[in-house]
Amino acid sequence: MIVNFLTYLRERPGLLKWSLMAYLAFAVGFDFFAERHHAHFWGDEIIGFFAVFGVVGCLGMIVFCKGLSHVWLERDKDHYDK
Amino acid sequence: MTSSIFMHPATIFIIGALLLPLAKLLRIQKVWLVLIPLIAFMQIHYLPESFGRVEWLGFDLQFGRVDQLTTVFLHVFTLMALIGTIFGLHIKDSGQHIAAWLYVAGSLGTTLAGDYLTVFIFWELMAVASVFLVWYRKTRKSIDAGYRYILVHTFGGLILLGGIFLHYQNGGDLTFVSFAPDSATLAQYIIMIGFMLNAAVPPIHAWLPDAYPEATVTGAVFMCAFTTKTAVYVLARGFAGFQALAILGAIMTLYGVFYAVIENDARRILAYHIVSQVGYMVCAVGIGTEMAINGACAHAYAHILYKALLFMGVGSVLEMTGRSKLSELGGLYKYMPISMIFTVIGGIAISGFPLTSGFISKSMIISAAGADNQTFIMIMLLLAAVGTFLSVGIKLPYYIWFGPNDSGLKPKEAHWNMQVAMFMAAFMCIFLGVYPDYLYNMLPYAVNYHPYTSFHLSETFQLLGFTGLGFYLMVKYLKPHDVSNLDLDWFYRRGAGWFMWFARKPVNATNEWISNVYKTIGLRLTMALARALSWFDWEGIDWALDGSARGVVEGGEQVRQFQTGKLQHYIGAAVVLVFIVLIVVVLI
Repeated sequence: MIVNFLTYLRERPGLLKWSLMAYLAFAVGFDFFAERHHAHFWGDEIIGFFAVFGVVGCLGMIVFCKGLSHVWLERDKDHYDK
Repeated sequence: MTSSIFMHPATIFIIGALLLPLAKLLRIQKVWLVLIPLIAFMQIHYLPESFGRVEWLGFDLQFGRVDQLTTVFLHVFTLMALIGTIFGLHIKDSGQHIAAWLYVAGSLGTTLAGDYLTVFIFWELMAVASVFLVWYRKTRKSIDAGYRYILVHTFGGLILLGGIFLHYQNGGDLTFVSFAPDSATLAQYIIMIGFMLNAAVPPIHAWLPDAYPEATVTGAVFMCAFTTKTAVYVLARGFAGFQALAILGAIMTLYGVFYAVIENDARRILAYHIVSQVGYMVCAVGIGTEMAINGACAHAYAHILYKALLFMGVGSVLEMTGRSKLSELGGLYKYMPISMIFTVIGGIAISGFPLTSGFISKSMIISAAGADNQTFIMIMLLLAAVGTFLSVGIKLPYYIWFGPNDSGLKPKEAHWNMQVAMFMAAFMCIFLGVYPDYLYNMLPYAVNYHPYTSFHLSETFQLLGFTGLGFYLMVKYLKPHDVSNLDLDWFYRRGAGWFMWFARKPVNATNEWISNVYKTIGLRLTMALARALSWFDWEGIDWALDGSARGVVEGGEQVRQFQTGKLQHYIGAAVVLVFIVLIVVVLI
């Protein structure tokens, strides 16, 4: 059952994309109603701060780590045997 | 006293391990394997506050000390021993089970130890038992990795022992109590470094992602739970409030997650991710407030279960397909859907989805950092949470079960016992998320924290959703490649190579050169000297000795001739002598 459902979803990337977009809209929308009396720092006061933090952090991390891997860390898998 | 040793949960596992071959002979190995951890899991609730005090060579050893801090760790360790053993139930080889149980015994012994010597004894038992979980994989790579693992841990154990000796010399008290950060001595810092090695704190972390991916399928499930979390326990016991730990812990969370983003081997991703997750706990220990220590314990509890679940899910794939590299996997969701569901539950729990255990434990540490006004550390922890969802929550399941290309593999679903074990861990992940008080009631301090606030939910919804967006945008760039990435084990792996090269080339060459020099110059000199001495011997000493010897012989001959042996000659000579004497006397 679950296999069929997942195959169904895999064949419809557009549906997945729009579900993700709808969810993101919900997440930002929800932030308007969150209570903020436990704020620890300035970012906690800004609506949508963690949306920006999430996407910038994620993209930055991918670019930084993959880049570092390509230019420096990457070796053959039997590097130490040579 | 003797009876109190038998109530020690480590004793249950040690006796269970020693009798396992007998159980196998009686064909009750599987029953025995479930029974022993189950007994231990029940039995830890009935431990007295203090037991197993032994005096040995003038030292007071305490094998059992139970308080609120030990309770939560004992609970999760014995539960994990049960789940891990069930996961490996299909393995007929008793040796692996024995190694795993001795390893668990080491961990429980360390947790219950009331003094540093007992800590050290069980600490070493853990290292020695766990290396067999690597070696039992029986591949060339795992044997090499096992040797590196045991060497690094021996080194760490020696540092710990050195610290303990120095501490003893300073004060003479080896009771395992909390140290004050303001008056910490060198000895205490050395002990802390010994503990930090097992907690895989960079730069002494590389043994973990080196060895764990080479361990057996079940071995890795055990290893991911015990070594690092026992280290978190001893750090929380001895070094709460050391700011250095807070900083190092925050660095760990990012360091581990960075590597998890770029690695290709699924179990190496998870191993690096242990470094990241243990970073949260080390950081919380370093913050040291009641809320932070609670957070460290809660996160250790939750982490053991979901990380083991992830190792079990990925281990099932390795067991059924023989592969663990993301670049060689893909499209397995049709064939192993049950393992997939459990692994994804582990993935969302580690990422801290609401209604999972990660949400109620990780947020506690982040809030503790915020409440302690350590904003920068808090932001590092939040960024690590982003990386966690990216690497383990999405990347790992995506490339194993879905992926851009189908691997063409058609494996069977995992063995039934593996599924049972995964179900148990997955159940706990959700159960703790839905009913956090079950965990919160076990924590060392009273919990005054509510994870399900609208703000915290909103923060999590955004962080996770927009991390998903980041993955969606960059999925092509994230594609794993079949390479290995350098890490700090480079120093000792290359260092060992250089050492061997140094031994083979310069040392050997110098040795050769010196023996050549000796042969050409030294030997000739020695020969010349020998000849000179020989000449002197002949011409000098012998001449003198022989000369005097000849003199004695000649003198003797003359004396001999002089002594004729005839009586009339002697009488005549005596008469002549008398006359001479008389003449002399009369005339003078």
